[in-house]
Amino acid sequence: MSINALADTVRAGGRLTEAEALEMYLSAPTHLLGQLANEVRQRRHPDRTVTYIIDRNVNYTNVCVARCSFCAFYRPVGSPEGYVLGFDEIVRKIDETIALGGGQLLLQGGHNPDLPIEWYEDLFREVKSRYPTFRLHALSPPEVLHISRLAQISVPDVVRRLVAAGLDSIPGGGAEILVDRVRILLHCDSKASADEWIDVMRHAHRAGLKTTATMMYGSVETPAERIEHMSRLRALQDETGGFTAFIAWSYQPEHTELQGVEATGVEYLRTLATARLFLDNFPSLQASWVTQGGKVGQLSLTYGANDMGSVMIEENVVRAAGAAYCMDEIEIVRNIEDAGFEAKRRNMHYEILGGPIFRERQVPRMLELAVSRADGDNSVPAELVNYPARSRAERERRAQ
Amino acid sequence: MKEQLEKVAAHISAGQPLADADIAALAETNDILTLGMLGDEARRGRHGTETTFVRVADVQVPFADGAHIDIPAAAREVRIGGRADSFDVLMPHVRRVVEAAGGIPVSAFSLEALEADAAASGRRLADLLAAVRDTGVARVADAALDQLQHAEMSLDQVRKAGLGLARLTVQHTASTTERLEHIIRARSLQQSLGWIESFAPLGRSWKPGSPSTGYDDVRQVALARLLIDNIASIQVDWSRYGPKLAQVALTVGADDIDSVSPLDETGEGRRRSPLEEVRRNILAAGLVPVERDGARHRVIS
Ligand code: SF4
Repeated sequence: MSINALADTVRAGGRLTEAEALEMYLSAPTHLLGQLANEVRQRRHPDRTVTYIIDRNVNYTNVCVARCSFCAFYRPVGSPEGYVLGFDEIVRKIDETIALGGGQLLLQGGHNPDLPIEWYEDLFREVKSRYPTFRLHALSPPEVLHISRLAQISVPDVVRRLVAAGLDSIPGGGAEILVDRVRILLHCDSKASADEWIDVMRHAHRAGLKTTATMMYGSVETPAERIEHMSRLRALQDETGGFTAFIAWSYQPEHTELQGVEATGVEYLRTLATARLFLDNFPSLQASWVTQGGKVGQLSLTYGANDMGSVMIEENVVRAAGAAYCMDEIEIVRNIEDAGFEAKRRNMHYEILGGPIFRERQVPRMLELAVSRADGDNSVPAELVNYPARSRAERERRAQ
Repeated sequence: MKEQLEKVAAHISAGQPLADADIAALAETNDILTLGMLGDEARRGRHGTETTFVRVADVQVPFADGAHIDIPAAAREVRIGGRADSFDVLMPHVRRVVEAAGGIPVSAFSLEALEADAAASGRRLADLLAAVRDTGVARVADAALDQLQHAEMSLDQVRKAGLGLARLTVQHTASTTERLEHIIRARSLQQSLGWIESFAPLGRSWKPGSPSTGYDDVRQVALARLLIDNIASIQVDWSRYGPKLAQVALTVGADDIDSVSPLDETGEGRRRSPLEEVRRNILAAGLVPVERDGARHRVIS
């Protein structure tokens, strides 16, 4: 079909096949892709609202056995730069988040063999006992899988236990590209194959959890594999309806084993627009200003995005790989309103909580991102001894 | 809004002048897709898909006695900046840079700085420009139209001194009205001068807490291309704005990238290739990269 005929299909509300979406991505003029994505977005969100969330992205540990080749964040077991945050440190971060008007932690981390399921359960219970309404958007599918393997408990049982302890929703991290050829090249097939990632999400949705879905593009995959990734997500969404949003972010090559170059800004806008056309059953698309910068992040709002994601209070993973953009609530709202939209605060379920919090009360400005741990802080949380160490390095450390 | 923009587009493609109301509509629109598309059409009408870029070595004067002037071999323009208490002190340093450049076109100083030096020293701007020219410098590096005290007169002096201007610039990001005024000012300056080759419409500095937004920048580049029909090139600065915004600017009206680094090393000693990066970004925008030098000649590689 010609590009014009495909544009007509989209305008008439028809569904694109994988081949058609690929054709659009490869051949449609950028402005046309933008216009179509904008039209689809307006059909879905006619009220010209752009949402965002105030939460904090906390990485509870950087110790990881997965060793993905695109990751600049992890440290191997036993590394002097490895850390695990203590419950009290995490509670402190929650207090700071609440002071900024936030109501949620996005909690993700490495696959640390010395953190059994009980550690997560105790942490979640501790948080919920102190802050019953505070939300935990935690543990991407590969982390759930890692916990399940460590505990030798099935994924549905892990999900059930974590939900009982306080888990509210699951972030869509670790998806990278859901094609096993790519996952093998990225050394991330062992942490979760494409089927395993999808399966964890299926179980989470069946358990009543809402989740997001991500795509890390621009590493070693082909454009067709990007579309295949979206196709897997679309099929699961048809089945469960459990995804709230899709977030595409470009591979950040600095300090990674894989190295290479980052995909360009125009490729980001084309990828985002194609996702808006193809993922016709996803209500929301987030703008990845953390990888693209505020300017291209704002331009995403005309290329299909209807959400500015999270006010970043803390970020460790993307920054480790070279991107270091920071926007606090004032800046996010300025960008949304400058583009002619109405800015609304939301929760993880994309329910509107209200207008900007800084218009209701004084909040400190955040012009720099916090980090999980101050440089040189090698402290080990006291409560870790309550959990059996599995790695030799950790057993030796405790024996000292 | 879309219909109004399409009406304006029809005016533009028919070569009809725009009414003030049309220009105001363009300047305020949030429909940056349509505006960007119009900017792109205007740019393609003039330059096709060709996109030029220049690798620039920045050199600060004065330098310490005996200092070695290191000009990277990949530089296609040497751009001199710097101030001193006495303007004359700088000239021997400038001459040494020109010699070290070995034929690479050299541009120097901003016109507003020269204006200010002239005013502070009580000398004629024409004399300062003549001194710069006598060192072998071919162009004034830039002239910020919102900073010049006597823009038309001073630019005229540049020409009379036998110098060129690498590009007309804007120093500060400003309100929508001011941004539009900058564009109209650039067009009217060119109407009287006729020899300006390039205009960089994005502000070169901004308030730390509130930089211009992506929408502001797209609007400004597209409007500059649409409204300035008498300056050939609309330029965007690679190092100042970064690859992502510079690349987007190329899709809405800009045709030239300034300030690409001639160095393959970053500050951390890591190797990268700015040349590859700029070419990759131009190609990924569906355009064709062409390297040029500071005299706007194509570089045959
Ligand atoms: S991406 Fe996640 S799983 Fe992979 S090495 Fe990094 S922290 Fe570990």
